[in-house]
Amino acid sequence: MMGFDTSAGWRHRLSLLTALDRKHAVAPPGFSRWLIPPAALSVHLCIGQVYATSVYKNSFIAHFHASQTAIGIIFSVAIVMLGLSAAAAGTWVEANGPRKAMFASACFWTTGFLVSALGIGTEQLWLVYLGYGVLGGIGLGIGYISPVSTLIKWFPDRPGLATGLAIMGFGGGALIASPASRQLLSLYDANYNSTVAGSVASGRALVLLFLTLGIAYFLIMMVGVVTVRVPAPGWRPAGWDPSTVAAKPLVTSAHVSAANAIRTRSFWLLWVVLFCNVTAGIGILEQASPMIQDFFRSDGVSSVSVAAAGGFVGVLSLFNMGGRFAWSSTSDLIGRRPMYMVYLGVGMLTYLLLALTGDLATPLFVMLAGVILSFYGGGFATVPAYLRDLFGTYQVGAIHGRLLTAWSAAGVAGPLIVNGFLDSQGKPGTLTSSAYQPALFTMVAVLAVGFVANLLIRPVPAHLHEPAGTQTPLEEAAA
Amino acid sequence: MNKVTVRLAISWLLVAVLLGYGIIQTVITAAKLFK
Repeated sequence: MMGFDTSAGWRHRLSLLTALDRKHAVAPPGFSRWLIPPAALSVHLCIGQVYATSVYKNSFIAHFHASQTAIGIIFSVAIVMLGLSAAAAGTWVEANGPRKAMFASACFWTTGFLVSALGIGTEQLWLVYLGYGVLGGIGLGIGYISPVSTLIKWFPDRPGLATGLAIMGFGGGALIASPASRQLLSLYDANYNSTVAGSVASGRALVLLFLTLGIAYFLIMMVGVVTVRVPAPGWRPAGWDPSTVAAKPLVTSAHVSAANAIRTRSFWLLWVVLFCNVTAGIGILEQASPMIQDFFRSDGVSSVSVAAAGGFVGVLSLFNMGGRFAWSSTSDLIGRRPMYMVYLGVGMLTYLLLALTGDLATPLFVMLAGVILSFYGGGFATVPAYLRDLFGTYQVGAIHGRLLTAWSAAGVAGPLIVNGFLDSQGKPGTLTSSAYQPALFTMVAVLAVGFVANLLIRPVPAHLHEPAGTQTPLEEAAA
Repeated sequence: MNKVTVRLAISWLLVAVLLGYGIIQTVITAAKLFK
């Protein structure tokens, strides 16, 4: 009897795992493709929490008796792991489909929070590095790329809009996680007041916060796992003619494998484009709060309070999120290369204006920084559609994963450039707008490099295309 | 309402609630910038 029960139990578990397979995720007739963006958003809104780690940074420093750098490493490890896991797991995600990938992402992301909660409870910082940094970072990488390829296949007529919607969620994740974390910490620790500078939450409150976030994120991500479907082979939107897409400049109807894509000059030029766009944006994002205070400092006193600077960070998050959707959708209308010419070219002008006139008025400063951050977000959201244009849909998810290593590199380069210049200008709390000019002018040069790289992108040579009739992993599974 | 419509409504409602909460909270915080 026991043997029968065990066998039945295993069969049940196996059937649950099998349900995650790509072939079981093929959409039935009548399925609405507008279910896919919310499925993708349910993952991206959760993993976007990674941009909200500053909320509990001071509490971590106090709890672990650690330096700013030691705590900052948690975020850095997570971002590096994001890039590495996206690059390494891209082909696996492509072969196994979005449902299994989203499930794996949810497991890694949640386990990261649970292991970190253990690390906080036992005051073992290395467990937080392992949990949130390594395991959570793997969840980030797999989760980030998991819905992208599927969205592109469901929306061949509007790939920019579709990926913009999903990747907008990554920007929006911080908007949700920041206030939610503050409110949860206040709930779990009556002595914690997020509006008072220097107030820190207790270790118990941090443990409860991580447990709450881990469980909540798992449940929300499961909505995406249950909902997501891949289109049936040969499916196309009603009334859509594929020849209209292939007729546009720099858009191919051929397929290029991930292995061949990284052998092309265009892949590496696009890597440079993304690297430059992210480096420029991340420089402001990382420094946003002290930057606005420094720009409006005279006689050693800033006219912008700490609370107002926090509000500025929120405004930037809104621009970051809005740009992902608005600019990526616009790229469907004007084309991918012209869109990046705007990000990089207008971005250069905006950086120049920020450096030369940003200290004239707070609204002007906020508007210029907002435009820059909208281009930063737009660059992320438009790149999957650019890859689809250049390399086709065959392994676009895997290629996207490899391209995201540019993000990891920019995550190191951007803050290094800004902090390196600022360190040479004086001590934090004493800087003024002129101290930022060398860093901002450097960002103009970085954007100029990206602008030229974008102009040099060419269609992939025909000898690197897959043979005609090559099936995507989905079509092979369905066959 | 058929099953697809119900699923569409629930999925987008979840997204709207999450994003709506985030945007409202952020706007409340951001208002301090212009006080």
